[in-house]
Amino acid sequence: MRIEIEKDKCTGCHLCEMICSLFHLGAVNPSRSAIRIIKDDLDTGIHTPTVCRQCKKMKCIEKEDVDETVEKTKFVWERQRAERCPFDGLMVFGDSAYRCDLCGGDPQCVSVCTNRAIWVKE
Amino acid sequence: MMPFRTKFAKIDLTERKVKIEEMPEEIVTKYLGGRGMNMYLLAKRFHPDIDPLGPENPLVFGIGYLTGTLSFGSRMNISAISPETGYLGDANMGGDFGAELAYTGLSHLVIEGKSEEPVYLWIENNQIEIRDAQPLMGLHTVQTQKAIRQELGDKKIQVACIGLAGENQVRFAGVRTGLKSTAARTGLGAVMGSKNLKAVAVRGTQDLKVNDPQGVLSYYRELLKGLMERKWVQALGRFGTPLMIAAGNTMGLLGVCNHQWTSVGDAGSALVAENLDRYSTGMVACWSCPVHCRHRFKITDEITGEGPEYASIGSMGWKIGSLNLENILHTVELCNRYGLDTISTGSYIAWAMELYQRGIIDEETVGFPLEWGDKEGIEKIIHMIARRKGFGDILAEASFAEKRLPPKARDFLWEVKNLPMEMTDERMTKSFALGMATASRGACHMRSRPSLDILQLPPSLLEKLYGGEVSSDFTSYRGKAKMIWWHELLYAVCDALGVCRFMTVFSSPHSPQYEEFGQLIYLSSGLKISAEGLKTIGERICTLERRILNLWGLDRRHDTLPSRYFEPIPEGPAKGHKMDPARFNEMLDEYYELHGWDGDGRPAEAGMKKLEIPL
Repeated sequence: MRIEIEKDKCTGCHLCEMICSLFHLGAVNPSRSAIRIIKDDLDTGIHTPTVCRQCKKMKCIEKEDVDETVEKTKFVWERQRAERCPFDGLMVFGDSAYRCDLCGGDPQCVSVCTNRAIWVKE
Repeated sequence: MMPFRTKFAKIDLTERKVKIEEMPEEIVTKYLGGRGMNMYLLAKRFHPDIDPLGPENPLVFGIGYLTGTLSFGSRMNISAISPETGYLGDANMGGDFGAELAYTGLSHLVIEGKSEEPVYLWIENNQIEIRDAQPLMGLHTVQTQKAIRQELGDKKIQVACIGLAGENQVRFAGVRTGLKSTAARTGLGAVMGSKNLKAVAVRGTQDLKVNDPQGVLSYYRELLKGLMERKWVQALGRFGTPLMIAAGNTMGLLGVCNHQWTSVGDAGSALVAENLDRYSTGMVACWSCPVHCRHRFKITDEITGEGPEYASIGSMGWKIGSLNLENILHTVELCNRYGLDTISTGSYIAWAMELYQRGIIDEETVGFPLEWGDKEGIEKIIHMIARRKGFGDILAEASFAEKRLPPKARDFLWEVKNLPMEMTDERMTKSFALGMATASRGACHMRSRPSLDILQLPPSLLEKLYGGEVSSDFTSYRGKAKMIWWHELLYAVCDALGVCRFMTVFSSPHSPQYEEFGQLIYLSSGLKISAEGLKTIGERICTLERRILNLWGLDRRHDTLPSRYFEPIPEGPAKGHKMDPARFNEMLDEYYELHGWDGDGRPAEAGMKKLEIPL
């Protein structure tokens, strides 16, 4: 399961970021969500949602002595893992990285994306 | 869980001093935030002799109580004494700026004094810095935002700024953020210009803690589902507000050529919403808005933008005799970059064009022939206004321009409380007309417009909604005072919360209102306010604004409409419709009574005491 993106449909509303942080942290803070909108708001107006691609081969934890299945359920990661991701799919804030755990199977962000820029691919 | 939304910053530009203070909880529960709290902060500093362009004019930025939370929009208000009208200045703005301010932990900024040199404010969470803006002077509104982001090295910074029009204190300059969002009306950009304040930049990364996260999640999703099922909302998300143009033209609700006519007939097909598809590259939204009512458009590689919405198309279109969509897009964008309010700019150009048409002013006055719909002339006059060149310097003075024009000129400026009428003509729709006459900031549809009045809904449904008999005929006067009073209260609450009109009872009777807002407030902040309690807050905001107007000497005599509105529409689908003075006065009587104001439009002592009005 992963989240697919059609960037041309993204309206830049940030609801995905808000609900992601609220669901995981109990507070709204777009800087601490696992999905983010990279906005080109003053030029093309094209907004690009960016989120973990749920790679089969996880470069982010490569060479780490950890249980992949357990790590996948964690929302807050250490910052250096984000630096290993070739797709910039983890959001960094302070010393932490935030990784999409698919909300345990029911991604909240998808439920509020009214223009269907993001959806779930099983 | 309190406090919520209690921190505000006082910024003195003369002394270059910044102070962050706590707003007492009891005041927050009386005014919430946004426009409500702005009015409280303004009232505490108010006296009727404040020069709108002088250092003592307090400029207040305020986010809605729910801005930045999962609710219905993340809007904000900017308020001050208006340089355009000389009276109440207040404008609401969408975009991302309000939410970004919410995540700093601050909710209101009170900016006073005047800087000797051009400056901008940089607010990063709780840190506020006054920075040099000399290198930004002369930049247009998009350039300004880009330059500040570059200087501070963060693309996520949101900037509210002025363009050249604000710098030059054009009396109807707005405050802009992003490609389109503007706190446009009543000239607050000129207030920034008068303070030598080019911009306010914000970046907030703090947690916005909510009272009941699970409760918010499930209740929000339930409301969202209901909202997105509405046909009106779906149509807005596809076409944006231009979807109303076709109906407005067919019915005869447009202010064509300075309200000489109210429809452009078949020629209106040039401006129907579908035609925007030619330039549109998709839809975009303000922060946290599921409706996404704005197009992003591209004409050339250089000319890209967002919108334009109904009001700007009308103001740069039929109001000044232009029906060429591409020209309209160009001129709207020109206004946006200069930081001019498109509605007022169109209105003053329309005024000048009618004066030219009637020979009251001539080519010598203007410098060139000022013909209806002339692309070159319109662009030229916009440049001249923003740069205060020649005749543009006269128009830049708004209604105060009359001092520099022939005596008869004032007779053709259609305004209420010195704010010009908009792109629509309300002679046929009696509720709309009353709302324009009573709006606290002068002629404005956003204070009360009950758009659903033109849907001819079943009388039983209207009675249930408004709690009394309201005619479903939009040309009837019956019950329309009640309608306007009801919407004034609801919209005051929306503006205190940061909720957008398109997500409340504007064009659909089934949209969220008091009950739903009360629930969202509780789940987000822990504050319990009943539907009735919220309505009282709406009445408090409206009554405080009215009290401020009274202190300037404004009363019933100023709650009126332009003389042309009492004359019949000469031709077209609304031919013969006009406002009847006697019936209009009856509506006013009923409207005052509902608010608890006396026959002169002055709040009674007892009512003010009950609402705890601070003036």
